[in-house]
Amino acid sequence: MASEDEEFTMLFQDFYPSLCRFLECLLGGRAPLAQDLAQESFLQLHRTAWGTLPVGEARFWLYRVARNMAINEFRKSNTRYRLFDRVVEVMSPRARNPEQEYETQERNTLVLEMLQTLPEDQRAALLLREQEQLSYREIGQVLNISESKVKVDIFRARASLRERWSKLSGLSRVARMGN
Amino acid sequence: MSCSFTEKISSLIDGELSPTEAREVERHLLTCSECELLRADFLNLRNQLTKFETSLQPQVQNRALKKILAGPRRVPAHGLQWNFSTPTLAFATLVIVAAIIGLLAYQNSNRRESNQVAVVQIPSPMPLASVEPPRQPEAKESPEPQPSPNKGNEEKPRPTKRPIVREPKPGEQFAAIPEQVRSADAETMTAMHFETSERLLLAFKNVRLDERGAAEEVGYERKRAKQLVLQNMLLKREADATGDVQISSLLENLEPILIDIANLPDRPDQNTVRAIRERVERKNIVGLLRVNSTALARALD
Repeated sequence: MASEDEEFTMLFQDFYPSLCRFLECLLGGRAPLAQDLAQESFLQLHRTAWGTLPVGEARFWLYRVARNMAINEFRKSNTRYRLFDRVVEVMSPRARNPEQEYETQERNTLVLEMLQTLPEDQRAALLLREQEQLSYREIGQVLNISESKVKVDIFRARASLRERWSKLSGLSRVARMGN
Repeated sequence: MSCSFTEKISSLIDGELSPTEAREVERHLLTCSECELLRADFLNLRNQLTKFETSLQPQVQNRALKKILAGPRRVPAHGLQWNFSTPTLAFATLVIVAAIIGLLAYQNSNRRESNQVAVVQIPSPMPLASVEPPRQPEAKESPEPQPSPNKGNEEKPRPTKRPIVREPKPGEQFAAIPEQVRSADAETMTAMHFETSERLLLAFKNVRLDERGAAEEVGYERKRAKQLVLQNMLLKREADATGDVQISSLLENLEPILIDIANLPDRPDQNTVRAIRERVERKNIVGLLRVNSTALARALD
C-alpha cells in the first residue's frame, strides 16, 4: 500500500498543476473551482479506480473525469461562484514583482477571454493539445470522439482564435516580427 | 484562408502528418506566404496558451494531496466481486436490505388485506402515474392468486393489524409507507443510493464482452439493479414530496436504466449492453451521481 501511495503521490505531483490549469482555462479562469474539481478528480481516482487502471491510463481517466465535472458546472448556475472566485483572487498572496505579475495577469486574461469564445468541445481539444501535448488519438480517448473530429476541432479552434487574436493584439504583426 | 493546405498546417505543427504528407506541406510552405504566415500565427497561439500560468499555490497543492491520501480507499469491484471492506459500504448495503425487507413485509400485509393479485415483474418506471398496485419481486410471489381484488377488502378491513399506517388508496402503497421507514434520514439514504448506483453503473461499464458478442455473466448487476429500483422509487417519492427537483430529476433519469439492467437476460447480447452503456454515457449519469452524492455528503457533514 505504501508503494501504491508513493506512486499516487508522484502522479499527483506531476499532473495536479496541469489538471488545474486545464480546468481553469476550461472554466474561464475560475481558479478555486478548478482546484476543487482537480482535487475531486484525484480523490475519485484514489478511492475507486487507482490500481485497476492500466499503466498510463490514469492520466486520461483524470482528464476525462475532470472535464465531465467541468461540464456539470457549466450546466449549473455559475453566478454564485464568480463572486467567491473574485474575492479569493484578490486575497491570494503573490510572490513575484508587480510588473511581472501584471504582465502575466494581462496575458492570462487575454487567453481566457479568447478561449471563452470557443465552443466547449473545441476549447477542450485545443487545450489538451497545446497545454498537455496529447496526440489526436489520446485526445479522442479523453473526449470520447474520433481522431478526425479532434483534428477538425483543433483546426477550427486555432483558426477562430487567430482571427480574434489578430484583431485584438496584432498577433500576425508580432509573429512576423518574431520570425 | 483560401489555400487548400490550411488544415494541413494545423496537423503539421502537431506532428500528425505522415512523413510524405509532411514533406509535401513543407514544400508548399516555401512557395505560399499565406500558409507560412498561418503557421507562424498558430505557433504564436501555442506559445500564448502554454505560457498560461495557473494561480495554484504550493500549499493548496500539498493540502489537497494530504486530504486525498488521508481519505478512505475503496478497492473497486473487479467483474462480479463485491467488496464489503469499508464500513460505509457495509452500512449502505444493510440499510438497503433493511429497507427492501421492510417494504416487502409491508406490501405483503397490505396485499393480504386487499386480496390483490401479485404481479411478477419489476415496478413500472412511472409509479405515480400508474393505477396498478406496485409489482412484486419474484421471491415474494403469491402462490395462490386471488380472483377478486377489491371487494373483500372493503368488506373485511383489519385496522388492528397496522395502527400506524393509514388506509392506502389503490396504487398508493408506496406513499403510505410507515413513518418509521420514511424518517430514516432521506438525504443519507439518497447519498448512499447514489453511491451504490454509481458503483453499479461502473461495474456494468466493465462487464466484459466475449468474442461471440455476448456479455459475460451480468447476474450480479441484474440483482443489484432490482434492489436499487425499489429504493429509487421510494427516494423519488421522497424528493417529490420535499420539492427537491434536482434529486428527483436525477432519480427519474436513473430509474429506466436500472430497470433495463434488471430486465437483462442471463447472457445479453453485445448491442443491448452497449445501448444501455451509451445511454448512461450520454446522460452523464455516473458524473451526476458522483457530484450529487458528494454534495449531499458534504451537506450532511
